[in-house]
Amino acid sequence: MKRPELVKLIDTTLCSACRGCQVACKQWNEMPGLRTKQIGSYQNPPDLQWNTWTLIRFQEYVNDKGAFKWLFRKDGCMHCTDAACVKVCPSGALHHTEFGTVGLNSSRCIGCKECVSACPFDIPRYSQETDKIYKCDLCYDRLRNDALPACVKTCGTGALTIGGKDAMIKKAYARVKELGGDTNVYGDKFVGGTHVLYVLDEKAKVYDNLPRDPSVPFSIIVWKDMLKPLALLAAGGVLAGSFLHYILHGPKLPDEPGKEEKGGE
Amino acid sequence: MRKGLIQATDGFERIVHWSLALSCIALCVTGLGMMYQSLNFIGDMMGGLKSLKYVHNFTGLFFGVALYFTIRMWWKEAGIFSMPEDLEWIRCAGGYLWHVDKVPETGKYNPGQKMFFLAVAGFGAIMFLTGLVMWFPLSFPPMIVRLMYVLHALGFVVIFAFFFVHLYLGTIGSPGSLDAMLTGWVSRAWLKKQHPKWLKEMEEHGTLVVYGEEKTAAKGHGH
Repeated sequence: MKRPELVKLIDTTLCSACRGCQVACKQWNEMPGLRTKQIGSYQNPPDLQWNTWTLIRFQEYVNDKGAFKWLFRKDGCMHCTDAACVKVCPSGALHHTEFGTVGLNSSRCIGCKECVSACPFDIPRYSQETDKIYKCDLCYDRLRNDALPACVKTCGTGALTIGGKDAMIKKAYARVKELGGDTNVYGDKFVGGTHVLYVLDEKAKVYDNLPRDPSVPFSIIVWKDMLKPLALLAAGGVLAGSFLHYILHGPKLPDEPGKEEKGGE
Repeated sequence: MRKGLIQATDGFERIVHWSLALSCIALCVTGLGMMYQSLNFIGDMMGGLKSLKYVHNFTGLFFGVALYFTIRMWWKEAGIFSMPEDLEWIRCAGGYLWHVDKVPETGKYNPGQKMFFLAVAGFGAIMFLTGLVMWFPLSFPPMIVRLMYVLHALGFVVIFAFFFVHLYLGTIGSPGSLDAMLTGWVSRAWLKKQHPKWLKEMEEHGTLVVYGEEKTAAKGHGH
């Protein structure tokens, strides 16, 4: 069945940091709660973890007029169209789903951690215990059954919504137009367009842990789009060259014993 | 063994060579299984791709040890060019590609072999070091790890291509060569064609070991 490309919109201006999405995500995906660490912030746990696929980041922001403001940002997989993690994954554990999101088939993951260093958003997390990586799959199992992702389902303020790609992009821009000021849409302009969009309250550079202009790292492009095909081309060229050498130039043979000049002894 | 054959390699050299060669092939095959998803099936015979990863990693350690002995054993003979005759040899491609009336006489290793040795030594070391970082990527900054992947892939391009050159010239491209790495005994005619200068040197120094003749002097690498 043909499925529509989906986009989840995170409207940070509506987020109250209740962290219901964090809890719902854990509950639906049956991720354990582990002992955490107080870092002097409401942000808890301090960072994304293998068992925490989405996290509300709490940021204390003082603008240039000296006014204080909380910035809440729900962090998690952005589900890139041009996903570096999918590009590097050797086993196909990370893959694009029919919704355009980036799925994770955990049983295929071999724990190589290539996606960890490839991801421009620093999302995948590795578990020593299972020797596998974990990240948000936008509740692929729920999407397939026409249910909302757990985070969207539980969001009480309307900060999280999901829908068809074009409609959601339109919605995001309409919202920014309505709000004005420094608000902006984040996500549709890079890595082929992400399947998670933000309406940001402030300019992107203001936010912690949010790259301003994310892209598939150049080294990954050199590795996967250039060297990978080149390896086969070069080896194939050598094989073909050897064959031609053999049939055209011929092998290098020792001189016949009778004809060789007597020497040495 | 036939009377009159000449010893080109000793047992130690052959063991080191094949340790490096077989581990290199195993690494190429398992590496291909991870590099191309269409070759993931190579992991099936090892109990899955995860096991293949471990086979690759631990074979890599063995490769590192073999590479150490390879470099220690051969760098003096194959790692240093002797000018100007090596340059002349390179200019005429050793007579391998077009007709050359007089190819400069080569010693134990011709410049082509030296280049292959240097490529294996250099990129082999790169493969070993980048591979170690790739084994524990979370202990290094992502920027460094990404660079390691590129270098590892580049090393593969070079070694994989060179491997087939080596395979061709070590077998059908130069009949008689394979014996040097199998039994270690080669014919005088082959030696005269391939490494005339080395043959002369051994004769002059009395280090030539001929099968069926009394050993004139102790031979070896001093290992």
